[in-house]
Amino acid sequence: MLTLPTLTSTDFLPLWPALILSAGACLVLLSEVFLSSASRSFQPLLTVIATVLGALVAAATVFSVPTGVFGGFVVLDPFGSLVSLVICIGVGLSALLAPAFLRGRQAERGEFYALLLFGGAGMSLLVLSNELIFLFINLEILSIATYALAAYLRRGPRPAEAGFKYFILGAFSSAVLLYGAALLFGATRSTLLPQMGAELARIFTDPTLSDRQPLAYCGLALIGAGFGFKIAAVPFHMWTPDVYEGAPTPVTAMMSAAVKAAAFAAMVRVFLVLGRGIPGDALLTGFSTLAFLTMIGGNLLALPQRNVKRMLAYSSISHAGYLLVGVASLFVKSGTTKGGVLGVTALAAGATPDTAGALRGILFYLLAYTVTTVGAFGVLGALERRDDEVRGFAWDLDRLAGLAQRKPAWAVAMAVFMLSLGGIPPMAGFMGKLLIFRSAVDAGLVGLVIVGVLTSAVGAYYYLRVVVYMYMRPAPEAGGLPERNLSTELALVLSTVAVVVLGVLPGITGTWLSRGGSVFLGR
Amino acid sequence: MTTFLFYFFAILTVVAAAGVIAARSPMYSAMSLVGTFFCLAAIYALLLAHTIAVLQVLVYAGAIMVLFLFVIMLLSLGEAVGPAKVTFPRVVGGIASAVLFAFLVVAARPFVPVGAQPPPSFGTLQSIGAQLYTQWLAPFEAVSLRVLVARVGAVVVAKSRV
Repeated sequence: MLTLPTLTSTDFLPLWPALILSAGACLVLLSEVFLSSASRSFQPLLTVIATVLGALVAAATVFSVPTGVFGGFVVLDPFGSLVSLVICIGVGLSALLAPAFLRGRQAERGEFYALLLFGGAGMSLLVLSNELIFLFINLEILSIATYALAAYLRRGPRPAEAGFKYFILGAFSSAVLLYGAALLFGATRSTLLPQMGAELARIFTDPTLSDRQPLAYCGLALIGAGFGFKIAAVPFHMWTPDVYEGAPTPVTAMMSAAVKAAAFAAMVRVFLVLGRGIPGDALLTGFSTLAFLTMIGGNLLALPQRNVKRMLAYSSISHAGYLLVGVASLFVKSGTTKGGVLGVTALAAGATPDTAGALRGILFYLLAYTVTTVGAFGVLGALERRDDEVRGFAWDLDRLAGLAQRKPAWAVAMAVFMLSLGGIPPMAGFMGKLLIFRSAVDAGLVGLVIVGVLTSAVGAYYYLRVVVYMYMRPAPEAGGLPERNLSTELALVLSTVAVVVLGVLPGITGTWLSRGGSVFLGR
Repeated sequence: MTTFLFYFFAILTVVAAAGVIAARSPMYSAMSLVGTFFCLAAIYALLLAHTIAVLQVLVYAGAIMVLFLFVIMLLSLGEAVGPAKVTFPRVVGGIASAVLFAFLVVAARPFVPVGAQPPPSFGTLQSIGAQLYTQWLAPFEAVSLRVLVARVGAVVVAKSRV
């Protein structure tokens, strides 16, 4: 006898942002069928309205009590709601950058905005997934949308390479993640994250189940590697510069902001829920090694780049490294004595780790990084010209030379973004780094924080070089000027204001962000 | 008997899968892939997942492989690529896979295949349908969204360059 599940309105509460984004995507797709004129300017507007609505609905659930809904597959918790909010902001800002970019290349299509919104829906579902099969399907929704967007403009060899490389490596990393999930299912006999966490705790305490321990470790490592590809952590970062460079710039903005935020949040949720049952420092060692390699690798590789878009791609790797410091501090257990650069220093040993504080730091960093990176790619996208794409000089530093004389406002905006990426006060990026490093020091990861501060100092060099070029180099004779476009300018103004305000008054996110530490761990 | 059949098909699957990447001609690769799909279907049948086994043969070994072969023939990739070269990334990749394989062998050693004893309704269409529309409703709906996105994405990628 079939017993149908009874679903109440609470079950749909966390899903509303994703439902609104998908409905917006379907509307944009249908509008393409009934198009009566060549004007498609209403499509970005529709996209932005959908993301604003999605953000409002996500914001409305921030103060909910963490529970599992939809038979335990979906969580309703403030952490998920806040990340959904950040995702909607990232997708909305990227959509604002798109019209001018696409019009300049005669490539306006409704499918572009529909895929942006579908990707946003997949990301929102991903951070709410509490079950591995559901999580994998949502990861695929967002990945497929992003593969198609990366291959949207295939002019010249670079964009074609980007689309192909992203598809192949993305599919490979999804397969690695799926393999890990299958092994973990074999070890725990469940795919619901809370049940898996409880079963893992039994596997690591009950001696009769100890033969499942290697399987559990292999599964966790493969899942970690799969997520490592998605967040572009060293040594899984190889695809990032080529793909970020070759993809259309608004898509790159969305990938570096929203996709990264979603993958990070999903990774944090999976390992927080599963990690409770794992004894020792296995997760701490794994994440602090990843953070160490990513911070050093990302920053050193960004140093010699003259191509600003590539430089921003490497910078996005290094920012994943700083975020991983925050993630590593989630897995310090009180009483941990592991020493060394990657471990807990003797000075701080015995300090009580503040998980909620670390989660708040990660959330603030994701928000700050989202508004900053979308803005930076927005300026780049407006400056590049079609004829340069084939030659590959579209994003050379020289294109920014003398921008301060030609377009003072644009130069100010770009300078604000660069200072924020470099973590220089009073910008949002500085507050983000401060929060993450503070919770890491509280947890005792002093060695890792010292590496983080040193690599930030290295990073300041290549971010400030952009500022130097804009303000202290003469403009080239035939320098291209950014076209005037209302929606691009709106996106840049919004993100500049957000970067400054978040940096000067981080307290305005106060009561909202204070909820961010609350994650549904299940029972 | 089940154990013997499992090992038989498992080894055949691995050999065929290795053939997919080792063959230098796309046609041989595609035919090896058909072999892989058939052996996988046999393993599903051994796991008493008969519906999945039938779908595997119908959809993958049938429909999808026909498409694959059409594409290969349309592109007329007659010329076989030269022999594989030993490059640095390949060596690193090979070492990484060997290490991963060693770990997996250690992890899988305590588990030997045994005959399964599931409930009689296991694997029937009826029980799959009942599971899909009750317990697994959320992933099922997510798959429908995924298919829609894949379709739109395919149209975007397949259309002539914009």
